[in-house]
Amino acid sequence: MAAEEMGKLTGRMRLIFAISSVVFLAVLAISPFKDFRREWKQYKRSYRRFAQGRPDTKKLLADYRPDIDQIWLPGMNVVDRCTTCHQGITQTSLADQAVPQPFRAHPPIPHNVRDWGCTVCHRGQGPATEVAEAHESTLAWEQPILPTRFIQASCGTCHYADLPQTPQLTRGRELLAELNCQGCHRLPGIERPVMLGPDLTNIGTKVSREWIYKWLKEPRTIVDKDGNVTVNGYETEEEPRMPKFHLTETELRGLSGYLSVQKAKAMVPYKIDARIVAAWSKNPELISQGELRFRQMFCSTCHSLAVTRAGETKLIGGEIGPELTKVGSKVNPNWLIGWLREPQGYLPHTRMPRYGWSDEDLYKVTQYIATKLTDSDLLASVPQLGQPTEQEIQFGHRLFLEKGCASCHSIEGLNPQKDFGPDLSALGGKNASELEFGAAKIPHNLVSYIQAKLQDPTSVNPAARMPQYNWNQADLDAITTALLSMKGAPPTSALQNLVVPRKEVAFRPTGAFAEVYERYKCYTCHKFNGYGGDLAPELTYEGSRAQRQWIVDFLKNPQTLRPTLVLRMPQFNMSDKDAATLADYMTMVLQHPAANPAAIDARQFTPAMAALGKQLYEVKYQCQSCHTIGGSGGYVGPNLNNAGGWLTPAWVEAWLRNPQALIPDTIEPRRNFTEDEVRALTAYLMTLRQSIKSQKTATSAGSHAAAQGAGQ
Amino acid sequence: MKFRLWVSAVFLATIAAISGCRKHAEAPKPDPLLSAYDTEPDWTDAQKVIPLSYQQAQGKLIFYQQCVWCHADATPAGPSNRSNLVPVPPLLNDGATLNVESDEYMQNIITLGGTAMGKSAMMPPYGRMLSGGEIRSVIAFTRAVAQPPYQPSARAGSQYSTK
Repeated sequence: MAAEEMGKLTGRMRLIFAISSVVFLAVLAISPFKDFRREWKQYKRSYRRFAQGRPDTKKLLADYRPDIDQIWLPGMNVVDRCTTCHQGITQTSLADQAVPQPFRAHPPIPHNVRDWGCTVCHRGQGPATEVAEAHESTLAWEQPILPTRFIQASCGTCHYADLPQTPQLTRGRELLAELNCQGCHRLPGIERPVMLGPDLTNIGTKVSREWIYKWLKEPRTIVDKDGNVTVNGYETEEEPRMPKFHLTETELRGLSGYLSVQKAKAMVPYKIDARIVAAWSKNPELISQGELRFRQMFCSTCHSLAVTRAGETKLIGGEIGPELTKVGSKVNPNWLIGWLREPQGYLPHTRMPRYGWSDEDLYKVTQYIATKLTDSDLLASVPQLGQPTEQEIQFGHRLFLEKGCASCHSIEGLNPQKDFGPDLSALGGKNASELEFGAAKIPHNLVSYIQAKLQDPTSVNPAARMPQYNWNQADLDAITTALLSMKGAPPTSALQNLVVPRKEVAFRPTGAFAEVYERYKCYTCHKFNGYGGDLAPELTYEGSRAQRQWIVDFLKNPQTLRPTLVLRMPQFNMSDKDAATLADYMTMVLQHPAANPAAIDARQFTPAMAALGKQLYEVKYQCQSCHTIGGSGGYVGPNLNNAGGWLTPAWVEAWLRNPQALIPDTIEPRRNFTEDEVRALTAYLMTLRQSIKSQKTATSAGSHAAAQGAGQ
Repeated sequence: MKFRLWVSAVFLATIAAISGCRKHAEAPKPDPLLSAYDTEPDWTDAQKVIPLSYQQAQGKLIFYQQCVWCHADATPAGPSNRSNLVPVPPLLNDGATLNVESDEYMQNIITLGGTAMGKSAMMPPYGRMLSGGEIRSVIAFTRAVAQPPYQPSARAGSQYSTK
């Protein structure tokens, strides 16, 4: 190789080396530059600039460090670097909406961010240091930030007990129980009701095959394309419990055939006294008298009826039992009489109380139902089905098990399939890649999946066996929240310690009381020791509150104490013996330790004390803003016209000192009365008496007004 | 010629190396209703929905238990008690009346009652029933539903509002 050639090459090489060195240097510089420009470092710097522009700079920058901040909670498996960017999260002066994110303070909540971290509630990837990785789904991380609309799900992950702060979660859990999701799915913490759907062992004695066919084809509840729910053609806000199964004609014939032969227990028709039938059957007043009794017994407290007022037809009445607008065209008249006399004979777990019927009332009311609550067109669209063939019955029997009917409806001697639907106990922690989206055009994340599946199960899985429910947006969100809260058992024992268990409530009455209590189903509406419904006042301490004679009179002839109430205590036609049994038990057992009726003798009250109390009631404290005495006053509290004949002085005194100590949910605010004022107010209230008779006329006028108010 | 090719090749490689680095994704745009703890329909316009924060949502719960009976025209139980009272209490969303009152005044009248503040005794004191935090949450809810909308007065914080 020639030397000059070498030299020539060296000259060019030099230049190349020089240029590539510059280039490599530049490339090398990119690395520190990129490190300098990293997202979190930019947020760090901009927070410093931001804090320097505020008057409380020193406080805002007190724990400022230029590197990554993290909350490390080894016991809870939390490594949250969120505070690297969200630096003002605990600074109360940054709570204003005008403070830019990510520096704004966290709104006040019951948990301290430093003790709990962020991802425990918000999910997302705690150790990430980039915005997208921390908040969104990536290839390696599929637990994105939970939208705040469903954030209550995170409360429910540890709080198995219901919290007052999370109404959406509580509603979602209620829906899971009410709609019998437990029938097919495993849902820990959701109470499995004694009866899921009605028992169908004797359904053939109640309704015709044609009616079953129609019910299965189009349950009386229809939802239009705007999501409006109608029951029997009338608009309602009630959530229907029976979902829609999309059944073929052969399936409808098979199932209706199978169900129509379910008559395990032959019904012995009850014969209403022939003299009563003879006396009433020709009477033109029969139907209107039946309607009057129907109203007087307050069937509407549990059952709704379609009512037309001012051209608008609406369902009015309670939601505990089914709506009854067309029930006369549904049920067999003999079954109806048997049912009304002894509901538990047909359905052992029904919430329907057993009324004390006279033959006359029974005849009038059943005639009213069979004549007025009907629709001759109800079954017009149903083909004549006739007697089912053996083949249809066999097919229906198979379908009943295959479609999952048996998971909610029991039939004696039939065992439902175990674990019919998937276990949902850990659904809320599932990754999107574990879910089946099918051909659905929805974002691939857990929230969208749950909502799509709830709205139309076949949209994500055409072969889904799950039937279709109808939701409004609020309920859909509530049930989504409840499902998102189910993240399975906590993975470590340290996390297990955080769980707040659900309190088991039970009330086990004893003796003669238990039998009467069960017969009238008191717990359907009233709470005893935390157990029971919440339609009517809690009775846990009724024995401290009310005088025995008042309880007896009330049970015999219930009168409302609250003039605006539309749903009222039914008129049970209770016997003296039953009323005495209930009143004795209440006064003996349902007592509050702070209000012992025997401790205060009403005779100690002097007229001077009562006069002072009246003055305090009317002028100083103006109790009339919420309570009615005589004809005037407010509607918020119970009326006090008969306070002296109703309440015990011990209860009134304890109540005035601290209402929440006796009934925690009561809305009467706790006041700061002196002991003398408590005495005086009690003395005054004890002078208020009203006989039952005058009360009756007052309240029946009130009920009329209230019913009209509700109809508007 | 060869030399220029070299240089441009290195240059292109550098560009490619830089642009190959992943672009940072934008922070997700929050939907006001998805990022709300709860919502309340606007009392004057049923089509409009007001997003509520956690604190406002707690205030809403307390409002619908305690206050709705006299400070709204419709209540969960039907007719309102408002028409029974003289003087007639303001509706909760009555911005014209309530926006001018400071948070401190509101806190006092709820805690101490009407009598203590020279107003009607029909407004009971809630200081022994609700905590300070609960009362503040009710005020926060009041501010959220006010019509005309509540504008916080120019106190600490607002001068630093962004843009």
